[in-house]
Amino acid sequence: MSQSKHAIKIWDVPVRLFHWTLLALFAFLFWSGKTGGNAMVWHMYAGYAVLALVIFRVLWGFAGSTHARFASFLAGPRRMFDFARALLSRSPAHSVGHNPLGGWMVVVLLGSLALQASTGLFANDDIATEGPLTALISKELSDRLTTIHRWNFDFLLICAGLHVLAVLFHVFVKKENLVAAMFTGVKKFDGEVVGSKGSAVRFANSWLALGLFVLALVAVYLIVKRPF
Amino acid sequence: MKKAAIAAIAALGLTVALDAAAQAKPEDLVKQRKAAFTLTAKYFGPIGAMVQGKAPYDAAIVTRNAGFLETLSKMPWDGFQASTADVKETRAKPEIYKEGDKFKASADKMQAEIVKLAAAAKSGDQNAVKAAFGAVGQSCKACHDAYRRD
Ligand code: HEC
Ligand code: HEM
Repeated sequence: MSQSKHAIKIWDVPVRLFHWTLLALFAFLFWSGKTGGNAMVWHMYAGYAVLALVIFRVLWGFAGSTHARFASFLAGPRRMFDFARALLSRSPAHSVGHNPLGGWMVVVLLGSLALQASTGLFANDDIATEGPLTALISKELSDRLTTIHRWNFDFLLICAGLHVLAVLFHVFVKKENLVAAMFTGVKKFDGEVVGSKGSAVRFANSWLALGLFVLALVAVYLIVKRPF
Repeated sequence: MKKAAIAAIAALGLTVALDAAAQAKPEDLVKQRKAAFTLTAKYFGPIGAMVQGKAPYDAAIVTRNAGFLETLSKMPWDGFQASTADVKETRAKPEIYKEGDKFKASADKMQAEIVKLAAAAKSGDQNAVKAAFGAVGQSCKACHDAYRRD
């Protein structure tokens, strides 16, 4: 770590804000969902916020900066294979943005967060809380979606655990400062770098991100309130 | 003599009554305890809508519902007999009949919170009602998470 050969800015501000806001909301949703009572009012608001964040992140995956884009981190079979071989041979290759495994993990996490929030919209707790769309479907279906809401959360916890373990592996074994990079946006390298070399990193305008996030918020508002 | 006869007849009557309870069909016990829970949710929900600002606060309804809940909260428990463990149409976990003490503690907790809710309703203090409502809801949830399966 001592003599970094390169320091490359990889994560834009929207990606970093997205990441840490999501973490805070996720922790709150965990606590409030398990506690119940009056916390459920805020559970639902926090759930709407996560839904908006996920919609925003998908849009940003097409319109964002280089390393925020799905096209840049969703590896095909060829890159997956090379990556697996490098892992097995323990050669210290570094990826600039997400490595191939991490890239697919982003999709799994976003997908199951979307599933979590959308089943929540139809959930009920048989006590005094139901989602804003629960009244539209039968009780049986709502009960089934609630079950998915509970099981998928356990799946999310496992994914989050794997995510943290992978980061710890990078920090302690591969000596990469991934955690700091998600705060500062800058990643430091002192070995061979695979993937894009950093010269090609293009940063998208953060105002565009704000615009897309507002768009996502409006979409969630329309889903929840159904003013039409 | 007469007294003893009356006592004997009374004792017999009590035994018959207890027997009847023990021999109630498991399916019926399940149906009845679910009915008690269904009514509990029916009278509990509207209080939530009022304290959470989704419906205008109506003190008379809150007090009435809290009173109903005090009685309803005593009803489901004698329906949890070990004989119901094999009934198909139930979401009650079989652990209930192995951890009777813990299950009862959970039921007692809920009843205690409902007593507080009823007291708050009578006081007319909306903030107190809201806090008590939340505590009751948490006590329902705690038991469901432990003793009710998906
Ligand atoms: C001590 C445990 C316990 C507490 C406390 C408790 N419940 Fe339940 N509840 C259960 C169990 C067990 C079932 C499943 C019953 C069955 O399927 O046989 C259940 C089922 C229900 C049902 C579904 C009934 C049906 O038709 O399937 C509702 C509604 C319900 N509870 C509401 C509440 C509410 C509201 C509270 C709090 C005011 C509450 N419960 C408190 C244990 C509890
Ligand atoms: C992605 C965001 C969300 C996460 C991470 C999340 C997480 C959770 C968790 C951990 C529980 C507790 C489950 C249990 O008791 O085991 C829960 C319950 C619940 N959530 Fe969510 N939730 C999210 C979004 C939502 C949304 C948007 C709504 C509705 C608007 C919602 C409505 C509910 C309801 C009604 C319950 C109670 C279910 C029960 O007690 O059986 N959730 N949620």
